[in-house]
Order: sequence, then C-alpha cells, then structure tokens
Amino acid sequence: MVAASFAYGPEAALTGIDFTVSPGQAVALIGPNGSGKSTVLKGILGLITRTAGTVEVLGQWPAPAGYIGYVPQTDQLDPHFPVSLEQVVMMGRYRSLGWWRVPARADRRAVTEALETVGLGNRAKTRFGELSGGQQQRGLLARAVASAPRLLLLDEPFNGLDQVNRDALIETVKRLKQQGVAVLVSTHDLDLARAVCESVLLLNGAQVAFGPRDEVLTLANVQRAFGSVGVEMDEHTIVVPGHGGH
Amino acid sequence: MDALITAFDLPFMARALLVLVVLSLVAGLVGVLVNLRGLEFISDGLTHAVFPGVAIGFVWGGRDGLFVGALIAALLAAVVLTVIVRRAVTSDAAIAIVFTAMFSVGIIVVSRETNYVGQLDALLFGRLLTVSPAEVNQTVVVCLIALIIVGFTLKEQVFRAFDLEGTAAAGYRPLVLDILLNVAIALVVVAASSAVGNLLVLAVLIVPGAVARLVTNRLWLLFPVAAGFAILAAWVGLALGYEASVNGGVDLPSGATVVLVLVAGYVLALVLRLVLDRIGGPHRTRVVAGSAAH
Repeated sequence: MVAASFAYGPEAALTGIDFTVSPGQAVALIGPNGSGKSTVLKGILGLITRTAGTVEVLGQWPAPAGYIGYVPQTDQLDPHFPVSLEQVVMMGRYRSLGWWRVPARADRRAVTEALETVGLGNRAKTRFGELSGGQQQRGLLARAVASAPRLLLLDEPFNGLDQVNRDALIETVKRLKQQGVAVLVSTHDLDLARAVCESVLLLNGAQVAFGPRDEVLTLANVQRAFGSVGVEMDEHTIVVPGHGGH
Repeated sequence: MDALITAFDLPFMARALLVLVVLSLVAGLVGVLVNLRGLEFISDGLTHAVFPGVAIGFVWGGRDGLFVGALIAALLAAVVLTVIVRRAVTSDAAIAIVFTAMFSVGIIVVSRETNYVGQLDALLFGRLLTVSPAEVNQTVVVCLIALIIVGFTLKEQVFRAFDLEGTAAAGYRPLVLDILLNVAIALVVVAASSAVGNLLVLAVLIVPGAVARLVTNRLWLLFPVAAGFAILAAWVGLALGYEASVNGGVDLPSGATVVLVLVAGYVLALVLRLVLDRIGGPHRTRVVAGSAAH
C-alpha cells in the first residue's frame, strides 16, 4: 500500500498510508477507536473508496479472487442466521468451488481440517449463533483457513476473547505464517502484536509510524497516535487516561 | 373435501393450480433469500415499482402488453433499486418515496381508461381463474428464468446474506449478487401479477420464507420447506375457494383466499413454534421473522 488515502463519501477517513507486509510476516494495525484500523482492512478488500495512492496485493489490484482471507468482527454478523459452524467454514471454499457446483469430498475435508486447526472439530454441527464469541471468532478464522489465502486480514480478533481462545487464535496465526501467509491484524492488544507481529503500523486518521514492532512502539509514538501525553504503556497494554485500560 | 381433487378437473382450475404451483416453487426459494436478507421492505417497493409498468403495458397493449410492461418496469426497478440502496444513507425513505411515486403514476395511467375500476381491480388483485393458456406459458418461462438466476447463485447468495464483507473479501462482487437477487424478485413479482395481482404478490414472496424460518434452523431445509408450504397453501386455497363458491354459495376471490391460507399457515407455524419453544427451551429468538428486519 503506497501513499493510500480512503474516504467514506466526501469525508476523508484515512490519509497517507504507506506500508508493506511480506509473506510469512505479520503487521499489527494499532491506534485508538476510529483511527482507521478497519478502514485499512476495508481498503484492501476494496469495500471503500480509495481517493489517492495505490494498493496492491501480491502485485495486483484488485486482489485476485481467493487471495485474501478475511476475519470480520463477530458482532457484525446476525446471531440468528440459520447456519451451522461447518456451513460457515464451507463458505471459505465457495470461491474455489465456483458457481452452481456443490461441495465435493475434498471441500468437506478442507473444512474438517480447518476446524481441527482452530480446535473446534467437535462443534461442526452447532449453529453458529449458539457458539461463544471466542468460538465464533475461531470459526471465522477457520473459514479463512479453509480458503487457503495468501493474505489474512483480522479485524480486532481479540475482542471479548478469554485466554483459551486467545491462545488458540495465536497458535493458528503462527502456523499460517509458517506456511507463508502474510497477516494484517487490527488490534489494541499489545500481547497479540508481540506474539505474532514483526511490524507495527500506528494510526490516528493518518499514518503515525510504520516499522519493526519495537522501534515503532515507543511511548512517544503511542502518545502521538492516541493524542494524549497521559498515555502509558507497559508490556501488555496501552492505558489511556479516562478510558481505562485498552 | 372432494374439492381438493375434483375441483381441478375443470381446465381453468387446473390452469390456476399450475400457475400457483410454479409460482410457489420459485417464490419459495426466492422468499427464503428475501427473509435471510431482510429484504421484505424492498420487495414491497418492487411491487409498487412494477405497477406503473403493468398499467402502461395494459393501456398500450391489453393483457399481452401488461406482461411486457411489467417485465420492463421490473428489470429497470430491480437495477435502480439495487443502486439506490447502495448509495442512499437512509435507504428505507428513498425506497418509499421513489416507489410510492411510481405507484401513483400507475394509478393515473390506468385511470385514463374508461373501464377504470374494473381494470384497476384486475391489476391489483389478479384474475387467477381467468388466466389464459398463453399467460400460463409466460408465467412458467419467467419463473424458470428467476429459478435459474437464484439456483445458479444460491450458495453465494446465502454467503452474501450472512456476511457482506466476507463475500467481498472472497472475491465476489456483492453488487452483482444484489442485482441478480433483485431481478429474481422482480421476475417473481411479474410472474405473479396476472395471477394473484400486484398487491398480493408480496404475501407469496414473503410468507413461505417466514414460515420456513419458524419450522427449521437448518439452512438447506429452508428452501424445500418454503416451496412445499407455498404449494400446499396454493392447493388448499384454490380448493377452498372453489368449494365455497360451488357448494357454499359464497363467492370467494381465489387469489385472496390463497393468500389467507398462506397467512393462516404462518399463524399456525408461529403458534406451534411458541409452544415448542416453551416446552423444549428456546430454539430460536427471531420469532416474528418478518417484522424483526426493520
């Protein structure tokens, strides 16, 4: 992504974004709420208008079908939608399956393997909305895994997750990186950034900094991104005064 | 209840049944997608939008013109509608304004005709029992096209209904999927216009999908349940209307009778669902499937 800017309607949402993520590497998008973390992901998905700059996925734009695996925030989904977990994961296979065709044995195997990967092999038949938030998140990750993506986008994957689900998620992401998948994850959780990300993109409506994780995550940079000198940071979290821990 | 069988010995009753069965099959499939997407209001908008096309076509070329006019209006409306919903921030208001305006245009056009009330009546409420063999063919062809569109994209439409951004991420173009579904809805509206009329189309489109949601939580069962329920209601509704007219001396309009049977089936399913939930714990929370969308 080079000097890219994005807008919702006439209003600029995010400007001057300039970064790269390589195969097998992970970049964390960090910034306060509304700083444009999701906007970067949506820009890569082509869901919002790009007003300047370029975006390329493996040298191409728009990204070739099936290159991107996307794990949205689970609260964007209707919990009453009548699908089972395995049906959700199967959606990850639809694109390679093609129009009209029904899933074959290979697709079902891929779904089973993806569910095993995220540790939900025994919940395949459960209705998606009945799973806990963390299990839904892992289910969506399994859907991305099943599509065998080259680039994985995760939007706040740690929101509302307990430690068991966090560990399962981190393990899966690490495994995907070993397989050469590039990962882009929006988060305000430094644990996740430290566990899986080599680089950090710090945002606040514009790019504050991009580079190797420990060089970017300095107190001065974080204070600039969060717009407050009272911001404090330790190994795990960024604490913004008046907002409690992040 | 001999009427369930014997009524359809009459050619016009058999034609009416054939039209309704084909319509039910397709409306059932499309209706499940309407339900999953919460497109009830948009579907209502489409029926309004098709009306001026029906009216202009009718004034211009009689009953044959009606069909052509409806088809043109429907396809135009489906595309315009998809784009409006995409662009507009408050899409409900936009739909309501554009399509009630179009409905008014239709009424003004029809009112230029001399036999105004009778024509309007036929357009709004259908003429199920006087459907001609040619109209049966038209209905079947239009339904078949809608069936092909929806059948070809069914799993992608479900994916899009569940997760818009996920669909885009997977490399689909949601706008294309939306236009295809809206065109399919519009085709059903056209196919149903001559049979059950413009106002009652909505029931055929929405009630079977809503019933299926009450009956099952299993995704791929929704479609056969909706279609099967619609066909059953059509059959019972037609026979009931016939029985009442011939043996009961009450002249029931057939289209409206079928719609009432559909709605009665929905109420029955709703009550059963509530009872089952009370006995066996909550199976679902979206009880009134239609109203929860808004």
